[in-house]
Amino acid sequence: MTTKKLPPEYYQMLEEIQANDFVALELNLYLDTHPNDFEAIKQFNDVSLKSMEMKVEFEKHFGPLMNFGRSFSNYPWNWKDAPWPWQV
Amino acid sequence: MFTQFKYWKPYISPFDPCEPIRIKSYSTPPQLYIQFQPPGLPQYPTAKQALHCGTLWPDLFSPYPNPEKKGN
Repeated sequence: MTTKKLPPEYYQMLEEIQANDFVALELNLYLDTHPNDFEAIKQFNDVSLKSMEMKVEFEKHFGPLMNFGRSFSNYPWNWKDAPWPWQV
Repeated sequence: MFTQFKYWKPYISPFDPCEPIRIKSYSTPPQLYIQFQPPGLPQYPTAKQALHCGTLWPDLFSPYPNPEKKGN
C-alpha cells in the first residue's frame, strides 16, 4: 500500500487559507466592539470572499475541506480520505 | 512608553536547595494600556505576518514567551 505523498502546494495553499482565515477572525473580533467601522467591514468582506475563493480552489485539487454540505465533493466520495486535519 | 515585560527580584533563601532564579519577569501586553482600541490602527502588510505575530495590528503585538529568558 503506497503511502500517500502530498505535493508542496497542498501545504502552501493550506497555510494561505489559514492566514487569511486568521485575518477574518481578527477583524470579526474587532468588529464585535467596533460595529460602525466601515473600513474594517469592507476589509472583512474582502477577506471573507477571498477565503471562500481560496477554499473552492483548494478543494478542486485536494478534495473537500468541510462536509455536511459546506464543500463540494469529487468523484468518488472522498471527504473521509486521509489526511485528516490532525494528520496534516 | 510601556514595556512588554516587567521584572522583579524574588527573595532567595540561604537554604535554597536548587539554583535560584534571581530575576523573574511577567508579560504586560499592550492591551493593558489601551482602554479602547482606536479605529484605523496600522495593520501588518501580509496575512502570513499577522498570523505569525498573532495579531493583525503591530501596536497590539506582545512577544510571549519572554525572548530574553532563553527557555526557562
